[in-house]
Amino acid sequence: MSDNAHTDAMPADGLAAMVRRGLDDSLRFVVPIAIAFAVGAVLLLAIGENPLETYGLMFSEAFSSQRRFAATLSAATPLLFTAVATAICFRTGVFNVGVDGAFILGGLAAATFGVMLPMSIGWWIIPLSILAAMLVAAFWLWIPGVLLARLDVDEVVSTLMLNFVALGIAGFLVNGVLLSETSGNNTTETIHSTAELSRLLPPSTLHSGFLLGLACVFAYALWSSWTPAGFEAKLVGLNKRFARAVGISIPSTIIVVMVISGLVAGLGGASHALGQVHKFSDGFSAGYGFTGMAVALLARNSALGIVFGAILFGALASAGTTIQLFSDIPLDIVNVIEGTVMIFAVVELGKLTLWRKGKRP
Amino acid sequence: MSPEHPRTDRSVSTRIGARDISRNYGLVQANNGVSFNVTPGQIHAVVGENGAGKSTLMRILQGLEKPDSGTVILNDDPVQLRDPQQAIRLGIGMVHQEFMLAPELTLLENLVLGDEPMRTIAGPIAIVDWKKALTEARALEKRAGVAIDWDRPTATAPVHIQQYVEILRLLRRGNDVLILDEPTAVLAPQQVSKLIALLKQLRDQGASIIFISHKLHEVVALADHVTIMRRGKAVASASVDELDIAAMTRHIMGDAPADPSEQARAAVVLPDARRILRVEGLCAVTLDRSQALDNISMDVFQGEIVGIAGVAGNGQEELMECLAGLRPMSSGSISLNGAELAGKENMDFRRAGIGYVSPDRAHEGLARLASIADNVMAGSQHAPAFLKGPFRNLPAVGRAARQRLADLDVRYGALSDPVSSLSGGNQQKLVFARERASKPQVLIVSQPTRGVDLNGIAAIHAILKRHCEGGGCVVLASEELDELIALCDRILVLSEGRMVGAVRNEDATPETIGKLMLASGDGLEIAHV
Ligand SMILES: Nc1ncnc2c1ncn2[C@@H]1O[C@H](COP(=O)(O)OP(=O)(O)OP(=O)(O)O)[C@@H](O)[C@H]1O
Ligand SMILES: [Mg+2]
Repeated sequence: MSDNAHTDAMPADGLAAMVRRGLDDSLRFVVPIAIAFAVGAVLLLAIGENPLETYGLMFSEAFSSQRRFAATLSAATPLLFTAVATAICFRTGVFNVGVDGAFILGGLAAATFGVMLPMSIGWWIIPLSILAAMLVAAFWLWIPGVLLARLDVDEVVSTLMLNFVALGIAGFLVNGVLLSETSGNNTTETIHSTAELSRLLPPSTLHSGFLLGLACVFAYALWSSWTPAGFEAKLVGLNKRFARAVGISIPSTIIVVMVISGLVAGLGGASHALGQVHKFSDGFSAGYGFTGMAVALLARNSALGIVFGAILFGALASAGTTIQLFSDIPLDIVNVIEGTVMIFAVVELGKLTLWRKGKRP
Repeated sequence: MSPEHPRTDRSVSTRIGARDISRNYGLVQANNGVSFNVTPGQIHAVVGENGAGKSTLMRILQGLEKPDSGTVILNDDPVQLRDPQQAIRLGIGMVHQEFMLAPELTLLENLVLGDEPMRTIAGPIAIVDWKKALTEARALEKRAGVAIDWDRPTATAPVHIQQYVEILRLLRRGNDVLILDEPTAVLAPQQVSKLIALLKQLRDQGASIIFISHKLHEVVALADHVTIMRRGKAVASASVDELDIAAMTRHIMGDAPADPSEQARAAVVLPDARRILRVEGLCAVTLDRSQALDNISMDVFQGEIVGIAGVAGNGQEELMECLAGLRPMSSGSISLNGAELAGKENMDFRRAGIGYVSPDRAHEGLARLASIADNVMAGSQHAPAFLKGPFRNLPAVGRAARQRLADLDVRYGALSDPVSSLSGGNQQKLVFARERASKPQVLIVSQPTRGVDLNGIAAIHAILKRHCEGGGCVVLASEELDELIALCDRILVLSEGRMVGAVRNEDATPETIGKLMLASGDGLEIAHV
């Protein structure tokens, strides 16, 4: 667990050990990415493209100017939230794959409040919409949390299924009671302008939700290594019998992390609705919950890793879309890279003997 | 690849050995220039205090770990072992301190796992030949002179049977060098003598055996030769006839003046000692094949150590778990200083002042993937001393962790190392360091000295005594009758989940207790004391 390494920074104790582990962690981050890009390169070669050229182009598309960099950060914004929401659960040993559904419902709630609340309340509309989103999403993940904690219902199945339910509910509402009368199909009315999150670098869409996302990551780091609750969650994730024997309540830990995960996912949905798209429509989440899971896995639940991972995937997404416009390279190459990263992120690299000869398994 | 050596070649002088092996972990010199030789057909004991480097040396001999310098010797020649698979091909097999059988598989499946007998049914398609596997199993069983129910799921088999299967598994692969790392730590006394008989028989059939133990009387009963390790070095090696227990102890301890010989504890006679823990009519149903408990009542007074004895699997662990609040009881009462605890959660038991030392160190006593600091500080995360507002005061946590470990002389590298890097005995001391820190009034202690060396045992016994002198009390379950007799004011005996007798300290001998342990309990008058 990379978690141990940075979080329990016990002062003046085994500096060498800490350096060694820091190195280990960065390898674990870099190697899956390198492998993924190698796999992507093979595919590019197969369709007759020069991978170096393509990657160079993607890199410059993602980072080479302020406008492009802003686009990358903007694409990274929802991932910050979904990755944190996922990591909170994963480090507790709860395999919650329902962040996407909570993100969607949070977005729907924020978009609805952003248009339904009266303009007259002024800037209050923003915190109220965000609060609504967080409560809805927290309730949403509270359900599988209770099912797991009290009835031992497998959380992978329940959260996966709830994603479909969330999609269904959202689809039903935006085609029914919430359907906009002016702007066509499958979408709500555009929110009041007072409900919009401020843009940071116009004309790019980068908005203050990005800062909220960073704050979330920071709060997560603080929670996981500096609070008793975060410590308890870690112990539950490492060994449930042990955690129980030292007096930690497993059911309430599980329910609490699911609710926190929901709060964060809902906040993410609100940020996306109020900051990016200004309404809710079908296809609101481009799989952000799942990409966020890839980020969390790659980061091995570390806060710093989440920031880097989110920016990496944000860069892939923003470069991928533009590159498709100017060349024959299909956007799917981005999906391939993303999937490969996910697979190799969960491989226990320590078990590969390549560079760790002679270590105890 | 080095040439594969012929097995059981009696003409060589060293079947397996080490020449000048060193291995460091960070600043810890686990092995420091160790040399030793095991001749063919010898039982070679390796002894030494916790952390002396025994397990490290064995992992090197088994190819699981590479030495920084020095070589492994096989049949008089140096070899470079790449991995355990190669070691197995060369005839070297190891039974680890923690068993490595797959718990969900049956014993038979575990026996053949990784090397299943196959039967071709058509062309290249082959299936596992379970009939052949069973025949082989029966043959091994006979060779070893033990009886095993091969269809039993491994998790439900008693520990000593699991251990037999581990050994037979190695024999089946043709391994004639058997390395056993503290095999007796988990066994009851009767089972130990059976294991000793089995190992002697295997030796007579030509096997070379390396045997690690902290119990020197076992070494004397079993081994031909003994090598003593201290702080990473092999400090003495001699035939068992030449070294008596006192001499071995001297070598193990070095110059340390510690006196491990136990002073039997005089029974406390506090005139009007307060009753602290009262258990009345405790019953618990069978869960996951555990022993049910039937109408158990007992009182524990201030300053007392009450022992729980019984043949392994007669409900001792279940009773201890009930007392710690980790197992639900179906009826009855547990009260602490008059306050009822029945029906409450484990954390309420802890809050009320009950601490617990689990017999299952690897899975319950410790979180093996967590750091040393996290393990020793777990459970204290809400203590005001370790909080600053809503946040953990990590510097204070680190200081306290170091203090707790130092108090019990736990040897470790860095606080952030995983707890699994500690030697077995140091792990156990860490558990005590944690449980003691919350200042519980009652300590529920199960098998506290498994795999702990003489100094460690003395330290743990001292902790228990000090705890009682400080006004606390202890309930102690142990398979070591000597330990119970030396420490306890009263010993209660369980059989099939029922309390079948109680013996006062002055009447306690292995015979009186042993007789009660073996009685079925029916029609037996419970001697009230
Ligand atoms: N993987 C590791 N990382 C760091 N230190 C280690 C590791 N393995 C062993 N050590 C250290 O090496 C020393 C020797 O450990 P080892 O397990 O060989 O002792 P041992 O003689 O088997 O003790 P015990 O009787 O308690 O099992 C100990 O101080 C231990 O903490
Ligand atoms: Mg050992």
